[in-house]
Amino acid sequence: MTLQQSVQKSIRKLTDLNGESYPRLKHILAPLLAVAYAGFFVFLYLSMVTIDEGTEALYRSLDAVFYVFCGLLVPAIAATGFWIAVFVLRKKEFRRRFRKSKLNHRIKTFDVILFILMALFCVMCLYPIVYVLAGSFNQGADYTKGGVYFLPRVFTFENYRVVLSDKQMWWSYFVTIGRTVIGSATALVFTAAVAYAMSRPNLKFKPFFYWVNIFTMFFSGGLIPYFLIIKTFGLFDNFLVYIIPSMYSVYNMIVLQSGFKSIDGEIHDAAVVDGAGELRIWWQIYMPLSKPILATIVLWLAVGHWNSYFDTMIYTNSENLQTLQYFLLKAIQTSSMTEGMPPELMERLSAKTISLAAIIISIIPVLCFFPLVRKNFASGIMIGSLKG
Amino acid sequence: MNPAAEKIANAETEMNADAEANVNNKNTKKKKKWTSSDWTLFCMASLSVVFLAIFAYAPLYGLVLAFKKGDGYLNISQAIDRAPFCGFDNFKAFFEDPDFGNIMLNTLGLNILQLLINFPCPIIFAVLTAELISDTFKKTVQTITFFPHFISWAVFGGIFLSLLDFDTGIVNTAFYNLGLISEKKDILGDPNAFWWIIIGTSLLKGMGWGSVIYVAAIAAIPQELYEAAKIDGANRFHKIIYITIPSIAPTITLFFILSVSGILNNGIEHIWVFQNMNNIERSEVLDTYIYKYAFNKDYGMRFSFTTAIGLVKSLVSFVLLLGGNFICKKISGKGIY
Repeated sequence: MTLQQSVQKSIRKLTDLNGESYPRLKHILAPLLAVAYAGFFVFLYLSMVTIDEGTEALYRSLDAVFYVFCGLLVPAIAATGFWIAVFVLRKKEFRRRFRKSKLNHRIKTFDVILFILMALFCVMCLYPIVYVLAGSFNQGADYTKGGVYFLPRVFTFENYRVVLSDKQMWWSYFVTIGRTVIGSATALVFTAAVAYAMSRPNLKFKPFFYWVNIFTMFFSGGLIPYFLIIKTFGLFDNFLVYIIPSMYSVYNMIVLQSGFKSIDGEIHDAAVVDGAGELRIWWQIYMPLSKPILATIVLWLAVGHWNSYFDTMIYTNSENLQTLQYFLLKAIQTSSMTEGMPPELMERLSAKTISLAAIIISIIPVLCFFPLVRKNFASGIMIGSLKG
Repeated sequence: MNPAAEKIANAETEMNADAEANVNNKNTKKKKKWTSSDWTLFCMASLSVVFLAIFAYAPLYGLVLAFKKGDGYLNISQAIDRAPFCGFDNFKAFFEDPDFGNIMLNTLGLNILQLLINFPCPIIFAVLTAELISDTFKKTVQTITFFPHFISWAVFGGIFLSLLDFDTGIVNTAFYNLGLISEKKDILGDPNAFWWIIIGTSLLKGMGWGSVIYVAAIAAIPQELYEAAKIDGANRFHKIIYITIPSIAPTITLFFILSVSGILNNGIEHIWVFQNMNNIERSEVLDTYIYKYAFNKDYGMRFSFTTAIGLVKSLVSFVLLLGGNFICKKISGKGIY
């Protein structure tokens, strides 16, 4: 009797639309289920696929792990069933409560078509990554026969081993991280300083500053004269070429400036009464107050720094200054990573799969930062785009 | 002292550097004195002037090279110092170049196609995502479609190089197996396919991210408008056509002018990945042409020639921007600046 009561009580708790228990359940269950299912399918696949240079012992141990996951699958399915049941109950509760509200949107054919279209587009965006993953785990010689589109046919870590043991690759990784971090930080501070001054109504000679800035958006000298300036200032083949020329951008300044303008002027007046100087007001009041917009600008700057390769191509010569993207481009276009490898190794490897592995290695940081970006971006972009 | 004279005097103060500031202040005691806050702000704003003077205005001097006979010098600074003037010869050489027609066709063709396809697509995409009923699905779609934007062209292009590969790529095989093509084709080396590769890849990479601005604009539309329309009996398509589109029209015009002014710019990082010796006929655009003729020794380091092309490019986009803005002001009473 007491058991039944407690079960009923917990179900009531879980179906309560405003309750805390359902989100908590979700947070615990989701990762566990993900691990169980992912592990099951990965090892199901691994126990069936040919493994490059696989030994009998390896196959047997993979099978053993697979059986473990098979055992885990039973509770996982039960948990999923429970979850679905709770979900359906909550849905019912929701319907009952909002029966006549407009939240109950009737689903029409248009919605279904739209859903399918959007889902298709998402698949198109994701498929290239799946393709690259499959290729990067496939043995090189086998890959060149074609037909590896969704899953590797002959599984191997060899490609990753080659990529990860490439010193040049690690160095260019380091250079890219360095330029992204230093470049974005300096550009943010520099642009924000100008933007703050431009946002103040009491700035002297404001029209002069405004037009000096705006004109550069309309007219530029072109590549060759710019290159000449880079050379004259000794930035050619210098790490600073990644930092200094991209330190300021008029577009970002305008976006930031409108962000600063939206801050109430009374805060500024109050700070002045308290004896704060302009620099202090900028750094200690205006900067912290415009965090969302700063996050957006940092995002733009960082993505730009991380992704650009053309500046490496033009403004640098030495291999020490190679950025990751340029290194990848060379690996893809000229198979530079397999140069000078012993021929007996080349029989099994292929430049194609190695460059695919390099691609995966290079997008791992982006994948890691992406969820963060997604969160910040929602608030930041909206402000930036509406005002800018 | 009248205001005009005061302005001039102020300008003088600004021109003499900080060291002389005190002296000046003594001489012009009657004028409003600059407070320390004025000085700080002035210095902060001057940072931009210093930066732009070096990286945006100093290069304008280098445009002299376009009117000099500077091809074939060892490096650009020598060319600019020593080469004799030659008037408009470089421009003439460019317009009479046998490649000229082809390059202009590619540059303009690609850009007009982009304007016709890649400009409206994010708008349609934004409008359609706003129509999705499930918020979770909407967020998922946005997250997934943003992702390609965060990958560089080197990587994204590299992925497509292998997708479109002759032997191992899926596209060729799929088309062949579906019976769309009678025999396997070298897509990457086919000049006729090049434009479509560029359009397709930039659509896939840029559509999600490009829609952000429009999504923000749509989010800013007051909901009352939709509710009022609903009461008046409007269905979904009426709402899109009569409320959503007109509301985001200013944003659309702004970005349209900006894209039109960039009609001679092709993303060189994008084109460079896909360009090869076989498709050069359709893949050579102004940007790649300038890069090659200026920096590649095999093409003769033609500094003056490429500077002249760059100048033509800048002038055209300048005129288009001003023209677009002018027309826009005439029509809607609102321009970019």
